[in-house]
Amino acid sequence: MDHILSVLVFFPAVAALLGFVVSKDSIRAYGISVALIEFLLSIWLWMSFDGGYPGMQFVEMLPLIPSFGISYYLGVDGISLFIVILSTFITLIGLIALSVKNDIKNMIISLLFLEMTMVGVFVSLDAIVFYVFWELSLVPMLYIIGAWGGNLRIYAAVKFFLYTFAGSLIMLVGMLVMAYLYYQATGVWSFSITEWHRLILPMNYQIWLFVAFFIGLAIKVPMFPFHTWLPYAHGQAPTIGSIILAAVLLKMGTYGLVRLPLPMFPDASVYMITPVAVLSLIMIIYTAMVAYAQEDMKQVVAYSSISHMGVIVLGTFAMNPEGISGSVFFMLSHGIVSGALFMLVGVIYDRRQTKLMSEFGGLAKVMPRYATIMGIMVMASVGLPLTMSFVGEFLSLVGFYQVSPVMTILAGTSIILGAVYMLSLYRKSFFGEVVHEKNRDLEDLNGKESMALWSLVLVTVWLGIYPKPVLGPINNSVESLVSFMHEKSITDEAKKVIKPTVIEREAE
Amino acid sequence: MEAYLYTALFAPFVGSLFAAMFSNRPKNLVAGIAASTLLFVSWISSVVLLLHVAHGEVVHVKMMDWIQAGGLAIPFGFVVDQVSATMMFVVTTVSTVVHVYSIGYMDHDKSFNRFFAWLSAFVFSMMILVMSDNFAGLFIGWEGVGLCSWALIGFWYERDSASWAASEAFIMNRIADLGMLIGIFLVYWNFGSLQYDVVFSQVNGMESSILMLVTAFLFIGAMGKSAQFPLHTWLADAMEGPTPVSALIHAATMVTAGVYLVIRANPLYGEVPEVSHFIAGLGAFVAIFAASMALVNRDLKRIIAYSTLSQLGYMFVAAGLGAYWIALFHLMTHAFFKALLFLGAGNVMHAMNDELDIFKMGGLAKKMKWTMIMMTLASLALAGIYPFAGFFSKDKILEAAFATEHYVLWTTLWVTAGLTAFYSFRLVMLVFFGEERYKIFGFHPHEAYKYMLWAMAPLAVLAVIAGFFEHDFVHFVSNMLPIEEYHVSSSTFWTLVAVTLGIAVTGIAVAVFAYSRGGFSKKLEKTFIYKLLFNQYYIPKLYDDFICKPYAEISRIFWKDLDLKVVDATVDLIAGTIYKLGMVSRVVQSGNLSNMLRWMGVGLLALLLAAILYSPIR
Repeated sequence: MDHILSVLVFFPAVAALLGFVVSKDSIRAYGISVALIEFLLSIWLWMSFDGGYPGMQFVEMLPLIPSFGISYYLGVDGISLFIVILSTFITLIGLIALSVKNDIKNMIISLLFLEMTMVGVFVSLDAIVFYVFWELSLVPMLYIIGAWGGNLRIYAAVKFFLYTFAGSLIMLVGMLVMAYLYYQATGVWSFSITEWHRLILPMNYQIWLFVAFFIGLAIKVPMFPFHTWLPYAHGQAPTIGSIILAAVLLKMGTYGLVRLPLPMFPDASVYMITPVAVLSLIMIIYTAMVAYAQEDMKQVVAYSSISHMGVIVLGTFAMNPEGISGSVFFMLSHGIVSGALFMLVGVIYDRRQTKLMSEFGGLAKVMPRYATIMGIMVMASVGLPLTMSFVGEFLSLVGFYQVSPVMTILAGTSIILGAVYMLSLYRKSFFGEVVHEKNRDLEDLNGKESMALWSLVLVTVWLGIYPKPVLGPINNSVESLVSFMHEKSITDEAKKVIKPTVIEREAE
Repeated sequence: MEAYLYTALFAPFVGSLFAAMFSNRPKNLVAGIAASTLLFVSWISSVVLLLHVAHGEVVHVKMMDWIQAGGLAIPFGFVVDQVSATMMFVVTTVSTVVHVYSIGYMDHDKSFNRFFAWLSAFVFSMMILVMSDNFAGLFIGWEGVGLCSWALIGFWYERDSASWAASEAFIMNRIADLGMLIGIFLVYWNFGSLQYDVVFSQVNGMESSILMLVTAFLFIGAMGKSAQFPLHTWLADAMEGPTPVSALIHAATMVTAGVYLVIRANPLYGEVPEVSHFIAGLGAFVAIFAASMALVNRDLKRIIAYSTLSQLGYMFVAAGLGAYWIALFHLMTHAFFKALLFLGAGNVMHAMNDELDIFKMGGLAKKMKWTMIMMTLASLALAGIYPFAGFFSKDKILEAAFATEHYVLWTTLWVTAGLTAFYSFRLVMLVFFGEERYKIFGFHPHEAYKYMLWAMAPLAVLAVIAGFFEHDFVHFVSNMLPIEEYHVSSSTFWTLVAVTLGIAVTGIAVAVFAYSRGGFSKKLEKTFIYKLLFNQYYIPKLYDDFICKPYAEISRIFWKDLDLKVVDATVDLIAGTIYKLGMVSRVVQSGNLSNMLRWMGVGLLALLLAAILYSPIR
């Protein structure tokens, strides 16, 4: 399987096209089968991945426009590998739990197209290919929100599209400038990201380009103050849309940060640590407080998801292996946990057609199995040890502590404020007496919901107890990334701040 | 020995999983029995390990890797040395008793199975906490006990007060946990490892300012778990949970985790006198502060909760003075008699249909002879009367304070000893003796099941005899903890003992005398002091008014006024402006020919003007 990555990217798209001819009755089974095959392929990719080698693997290269150095260039390393698996896993789980009734065929086809774009973004190493997948991912999502959303769906969908699109245009300008600078330096055009990594730019160029890339990525993350499209998108999107959006699409932003500006502009990244960290802190604390004020369950989860993304960004800018590995791992756990939380909100929405917490209360008594899983996921979201989130959050914060103790303490309030809004959500909805008649005989989780949710719980706990199989490869790639940045940086400050592993591991 | 270690650790976990399988089903006695049996197995293993390490050997195992990133390597490693063996013994002893007792106590509860699942899960977390060989592992247990405490305080989640108390406990602990986490970060970046042995071996070369930060931040964590001022309010509210939970978690084990942390990290704390003195001072303050609130409270369980708080203060004084073994010793004896006291209170609640107001009780001794005897035993031990367990450990703390010339601490603790004796016997008198007020309220009390009484018996025995093992205990822990000989002349020593016993007896005498004659006059309740104490110094109200409510209000403002009206409105404004501009400029292409010609003219003029203004030949 030399072309495993191409297969991974295009298999869902081809399957989606074929989906148009599949009958409506069997489309669901068809979709799940495709997603399962895709997931197994990604697992196969993991199994044949050499965890000890930090560089790009399974590289595919096919020149597209040689005169401009644009080529079809794919590859994975420890950083992107698991996000690819996350995408295929979440798509599979989302399809299993899919509860949309109308137009199910179009929904499944959109989801499979979306899967192509997601995998495409994470494996492309050519800026143009990357950008194409990046923008294409907006289309199925736009359709999912716009066609299956709530009352404000058109407004939310257009806002989502235009906002992120505007951001990525700025990033595109940055890419073009980057390619031109590369041309100036070397005499040949190239859009290869790995080539760009090797280009050493003077400080002022670095800063402007960093800003261009950062804006595009920050809107996707979404960082404060560019976050307001997300609550609308989540508020209006159908459950499956929110799951994919929170679990995978937002990761494009944080993954992009690790892949693009950090190695390309190490000095500018170091220079920008403080402003970025301040934005992240505002994002962590402010959105956590906003989450507490929400009346709608889904909005609590939406804002909490923004708040945790702040910790991820912070970990990325720790500039040491602990922090960056932690932040990449946190991306995965955030994907699993927030995906699960959105799915859980969807479960109750399907039954009651409302998400207002005041409409519930005492659900623990009526739906004990649902309450159990919600409890586990609430605790995972709060970052309890032995869940995935703890590993990511702990490492991100431990890493950033080296950069700034004071800001780490402020960021650490996320563990307190997270507990405040999550426990308040749980208390309002699940504890207390059953006050609304309608809630008295709600049906507990059904088979497909249980299956989807328990597999998410399983992953959360497994990787919380034994993160090594995932964290190991991530850490290898991150360590080489950090020492690369350290080597490449030109200012003394960056040399000082970017710390490859300084503490020797004790002999084992 | 490894097998015993793993058995001791994982038996409660298996019990928990087993009970959890039935958690949504109707009561299943097997769940309770299995969980209790497995805890008994864990207890046996702990005793075997205790005897093993008594020879001075330490069992240290590494189970597997946990987190490895950059230079950070955290394994799941466990160590059984004299300190953790003592803790394991205390934890498993009290838990086994409480489990067995709970089979009777929770008999009629519909969530019987869920109760045992959580109770055993708690013990498992606590075992991780005390057995871990590194700070991160400790933190796992630390958060684990917090989780179980949340679930058990809110066990009767239908009650709003219970779920509120559960959240309060969790969040309050989380605030402290942030401090602890920062302490752990500091340890990692300065010592390069989180393993106890690696860290402690480097203490000598470390700058004192760093040690001070490390110890201070770790102590913040301890303050949360051990409910020290100003993070103490959750403990009294935690009494919403079932009484066996209060006995196990909120008296004997979890709340002592903070003390354990200080004892465990004694090589660090021993080097930083400033922080240690602060710990001792805070401990003494909490001792008298909590005791004063216990004086006037009317709630059976809250009185005992405040007394727990007060006794934790004693332990911190000992630890802060460097007398770590005394702190550990008091931790142990306190666990026995305080759990006994709580279980006795559970019997009373059973008899009184969960009534908690001690002023609605009285004269219960006739109906509940054995409960009365055991609670009196426990109260005597708490008051520090010879020959009960509390006498030995508490007296040692006072002696340590006196011998190290901390007379203010000594005086505070001495007065507190009097208060302790008074409120303990106020409780005993109001519940078991005097007028049978319960008749007015229509209760029909009855003695608890024989079974429950027998379950409590081991604790009663330990509450009486545990003190006599003082010398064995000193010998046992001498490998691990610094043992200081206090040089006080024997006359001073005996004077101290007499003075301490004197105030305790006086306290008891006052309580017995006053409450056998119907108590104090009602006028006292009008005084400012009474109101202050009764309202817990208005601290919960203060927290509510100045933290909770403003937080909720600011959150709402952030959402409604800032997020929606400023941040999002700006985005919409930009988008709207662009949209309107487009709408306005549409007139240029309205399709009306004369209109378009006019615009063409305007455009032509503008171009000409531009050409003239910017012309290169001018």
